[in-house]
Amino acid sequence: MNRVRTGIRSNVSTFLRTPLDVVLALLLPVVVIEGWGQAMAGLPTMPTVEAIPIDLGRLLGAIFGIAIIAGLMGLTQMISARTADRRLVQTGYPPRTLLATRLATLGGVTVVVAAVNYGVLWLTISPEAPVLTFVFLVLAGLVYAFLGALVGALLPRLFEGSLVVVFLAMMDAFLSGDSPLAADIPEFVEYFPLYHPKELLQEAMFQGTYTTGNLGFVAGYLLVLLVLVTVVFGMTMRTSGGWSA
Amino acid sequence: MNRTTTAFSIGIKEQVRNYVLVALLVVLPVSFITLAFAVTQNVEMPVRTLVDGETVTVMRGMPEVHGVIMTPITSALIAGLAGLFLMREAKDTDGRLAVAGYRARQVIAARFGVLAAITLIVTGVSVGVMRVDFQPEYLWWFVAAMLVVSLTYGLIGMLVGAVFNRLAGMWLMLILPMLDIGLFQDPLFIQSEPDWWMKLFPGYWPVRVMVDTGLTTDVDTALSLVWATGYLLLVAVLAIGIYYRVTQAS
Repeated sequence: MNRVRTGIRSNVSTFLRTPLDVVLALLLPVVVIEGWGQAMAGLPTMPTVEAIPIDLGRLLGAIFGIAIIAGLMGLTQMISARTADRRLVQTGYPPRTLLATRLATLGGVTVVVAAVNYGVLWLTISPEAPVLTFVFLVLAGLVYAFLGALVGALLPRLFEGSLVVVFLAMMDAFLSGDSPLAADIPEFVEYFPLYHPKELLQEAMFQGTYTTGNLGFVAGYLLVLLVLVTVVFGMTMRTSGGWSA
Repeated sequence: MNRTTTAFSIGIKEQVRNYVLVALLVVLPVSFITLAFAVTQNVEMPVRTLVDGETVTVMRGMPEVHGVIMTPITSALIAGLAGLFLMREAKDTDGRLAVAGYRARQVIAARFGVLAAITLIVTGVSVGVMRVDFQPEYLWWFVAAMLVVSLTYGLIGMLVGAVFNRLAGMWLMLILPMLDIGLFQDPLFIQSEPDWWMKLFPGYWPVRVMVDTGLTTDVDTALSLVWATGYLLLVAVLAIGIYYRVTQAS
């Protein structure tokens, strides 16, 4: 238990030691939410195109913002400390404990970023179900944080990894976001990472309810990602972490 | 082979040897732009642009308008991230080249050459994919504006890489082009005169050119391309200055 606590403390202090990251993690959600809301509200209504209410634009901005901030953080967490992680494994740190500290740190920072997103939404929209809205924002962030971590474990280079996360998030936000620009959305979009979190968030925000099926899907998604990250991380630590012959 | 060419070809080989990166530089624009065309509603939308020197609203198909925006977003994003990581690498290694006797201008020319090569490839792939679904009215004007906006973002990526660390840099280089090209310059969303601060973004002048030369039958934005090039030169001067300082310090 001590090792987990030490690991988390060290990861958090590494993040806090770069104040620019902290400032941007707190500032960017505001910019993204308002940027999305204000710009999308300009879309004119046409016979088959519905205008996007400013509040829906803000919600879409919030979900994209938290996904991208958490996703890139997950990616960086896994890649930047890879060498150090290997050494820790060699000195007897179990890979699972190490991974747990990384994911717990990611979870903690995601909750803080979600809180900032929630704060902006609360000030501008007043959600119908405040607690649910916050929880679903956290879930959306966690899905992308774990996804970023998985990409980082599979593709341990920041440039390539960031391209994958960024383009995935953009396609996901466009297709899962019920964009009025889009038609003929393929059915497989339901399996995209943001589809169900966005449904949950929209319901909680505007109707004050949620659908259990959506929540179950997100929970399942997180579980699958967790298993995949654990397996891939364990493999990379086992193959590269042993003593050389 | 002189020193600049040697450093440039090593830089290119380093990128080409990375098969995953090469594949991503092709696969991502192809999938993203194709998808954008495939799922966009085929409906006429009002677009504000210049016709015969006057700003008017014309009706154009939404897939075409969307394509005009998604294509530069793709290349600007990739070029921006490439610039960011080239600068971060340079911070770690290029100081050593100076110690080994390279002149600053040789290192700068080689690094900027690598960025220009990546930008050219990404712009070429993006425009090529776009042309499957949409033919701009004036292809070469369109391509020129694409190159200018992509290079500008590549250099902005370098500037960001000099000031911010990798995580913060990635956040910025994703969110900046998305907000700029994807929202503030998108003629679907901005239906009236853009606010003054929107005109300060790097995408303002080049996207004006792309909307005009992509969707109308006259070229009314030659001056906008001059402004866009001026913006690019300004960013280039800043990037060279910062690069010089960074490599001197390392």
